[in-house]
Amino acid sequence: MTDSGSEPRAPGRGIAAWAIASAVLMAVAIIGAFFVAPENADGDIQSILYLHVPLAMMSLGAFLVACVAGILYLRRRDERYDEVVAVSVGLGLLFVILTIISGSIWARGYWGTWWRWQDPRLVTYLIIALIYAAFFVLRNSSEDDSRARFSAVFAVVGFVSVPLSFYAVRRAQDAVHPTPIDSNGIHIDSGILLWLVVAQVAVAVVFVTLLKLELLQRRTDRALGRLRRVLEDTA
Amino acid sequence: MGPNGAGKTTLLRMLATLHRPTAGTLVVMGHDLPAQAQLVRPHLGYLGHDPLVYLDLTPLQNLEFFADLYGINRPRERIEELLEQVGLLARAFEPVRTFSRGMAQRLGIARLLLHHPSLLLLDEPTSGLDASGAALLDRVVADGASVVLVTHDVERAVQVADRVMVLRSGRVRLECATRGLDPAAFRVEYERQIA
Amino acid sequence: MSARRQFRALVLKDLRLELRTRDTAVAMTLFVVIAMVVLQFGFGTRESDLTRFAGGLLWVPLAFAAVLGVGRSYVAEREQRVLDGLLVAPVSRFVMLLARAVAIVGYLLAVQVVAVPLLGIFFVKGPYWGDIGWLMLACLLADIAIGVLGTLVAAMAVFTRARELVLPVIFLPLLVPVVIAAAGATHAVVGPNDMAQYRNYCLFLAGIAVTFGLVAYATFDAVFDD
Repeated sequence: MTDSGSEPRAPGRGIAAWAIASAVLMAVAIIGAFFVAPENADGDIQSILYLHVPLAMMSLGAFLVACVAGILYLRRRDERYDEVVAVSVGLGLLFVILTIISGSIWARGYWGTWWRWQDPRLVTYLIIALIYAAFFVLRNSSEDDSRARFSAVFAVVGFVSVPLSFYAVRRAQDAVHPTPIDSNGIHIDSGILLWLVVAQVAVAVVFVTLLKLELLQRRTDRALGRLRRVLEDTA
Repeated sequence: MGPNGAGKTTLLRMLATLHRPTAGTLVVMGHDLPAQAQLVRPHLGYLGHDPLVYLDLTPLQNLEFFADLYGINRPRERIEELLEQVGLLARAFEPVRTFSRGMAQRLGIARLLLHHPSLLLLDEPTSGLDASGAALLDRVVADGASVVLVTHDVERAVQVADRVMVLRSGRVRLECATRGLDPAAFRVEYERQIA
Repeated sequence: MSARRQFRALVLKDLRLELRTRDTAVAMTLFVVIAMVVLQFGFGTRESDLTRFAGGLLWVPLAFAAVLGVGRSYVAEREQRVLDGLLVAPVSRFVMLLARAVAIVGYLLAVQVVAVPLLGIFFVKGPYWGDIGWLMLACLLADIAIGVLGTLVAAMAVFTRARELVLPVIFLPLLVPVVIAAAGATHAVVGPNDMAQYRNYCLFLAGIAVTFGLVAYATFDAVFDD
């Protein structure tokens, strides 16, 4: 058991600290977004963007992590990278779905409709959600000996196709999405920006916490499996 | 040799650059695998239960195709020579799909030898062969190149091999030279190792 | 070992298999024609001029046909278990990918030679025939992107358990940028005749082909590296 040798103290303790940090930061971000942060003329519905935008950013961050872990897996063939790929894609997909839902709620409040095909980002996130949902179809249908390889390759291909999808959707449509960042710089009130950054950090910490938790669980599962095999062999 | 699931085929596929070892080092003909697989492949000949040829192409088209992959000079002469040797010259223009299993496997032997490989990796190649095909393969095996043969047939192994190795559950149980080995005594020892 | 000779042999082999069995190109073409007709009925209208929807009427059937064609592309290797024979041969995996992509481009072009004129006959009531060259150029660029991406994706999907289902599910979402750009280019030519927009879409298609080509070059080894 090489794993336990390198890490003598209980691995759960680190996770507990991350979990507490996630809870506190999320609470601060939510309170800040809904009660403290400045609102503009659009009113209450604007508050949802304090979660929507960080979730959208973090989902791409999760897919980047999956892509890098995929490349590392293909180079080193270490099972642990494969687990990072799978868990990151799963969390990224969760964030994308939350992004779409929060964006849709916002669109309902702002434009009066749940869905607008003219909005390039909402449409792109839908495509991204479909790509990474397909990841799990491929992964679950793969044979044991090819699962990790196919997952890694698909994580790379999927991530590369994200900017292509962005560009294609944008080319094909008139942009109606509010664009706070353009070539002239950032057009956001500094109070809004502060709370966006807080929410972004909170979402990132949640991602790391869930990633660590899931990886720990999988590692425990594997250790249990090894233990059982040892017991069966000796019995 | 070894019982089903011992890892014989996996080992052979690793040697054939088809399977990546999960641990340890693997050196074939002085080249590290899998890093230098491309340097080893030109010298390998691999034959398993399947002939590894296209059923909808003729023997001639199949062998021409593989001759191109292996970069063989004057392929036509070599192909005719091999088809003659495996007794398929008369059927050279018929699709392999119309062949019996034994005939297809003989074409597999021709494909195996096409590029004069110096290391033959054979995974129970006689399973689909008739008696004359098996005899043909024996002549091939006796013919110069190094051979790694996976087989269930204890007597045959002792008869044709210089060394035998018995695997069970992915581990080497026994390895020895066959010189002076008594087939009957070896059979007893083999049964004991895999029991 | 000449890569060019290997490449030629691989392409020639696919061509020979297709000529002997003839099951891919003909079926794909028929499928596209059927899909176009079904789409027309699906609109719920008997309008003769569907120029506005020309991009979709061409590229929805083509995208699905691409899935079918790509799915066929490893059938010979899988059903006849020849793949090991290819993999032990000293062929660079990238040469294998390119040869297969060329075969797929060939199938798609064969289909488009029928589908593109049919689009004009069935759905476009306006100047059309002068633009066929431009349409075929956009088709070719899209086909290259589809061929490279399809070869990579099919090499994985074909060796999974539920391959018929896995392939479209993983292939189509990745294909969305190609469909958007190809349909956009088609629309730009057939509809408003906006050549600047057409050129942008074509450049984008070329960019997609190059991008997927680089990714495939970097990862295709790993697909077969068991």
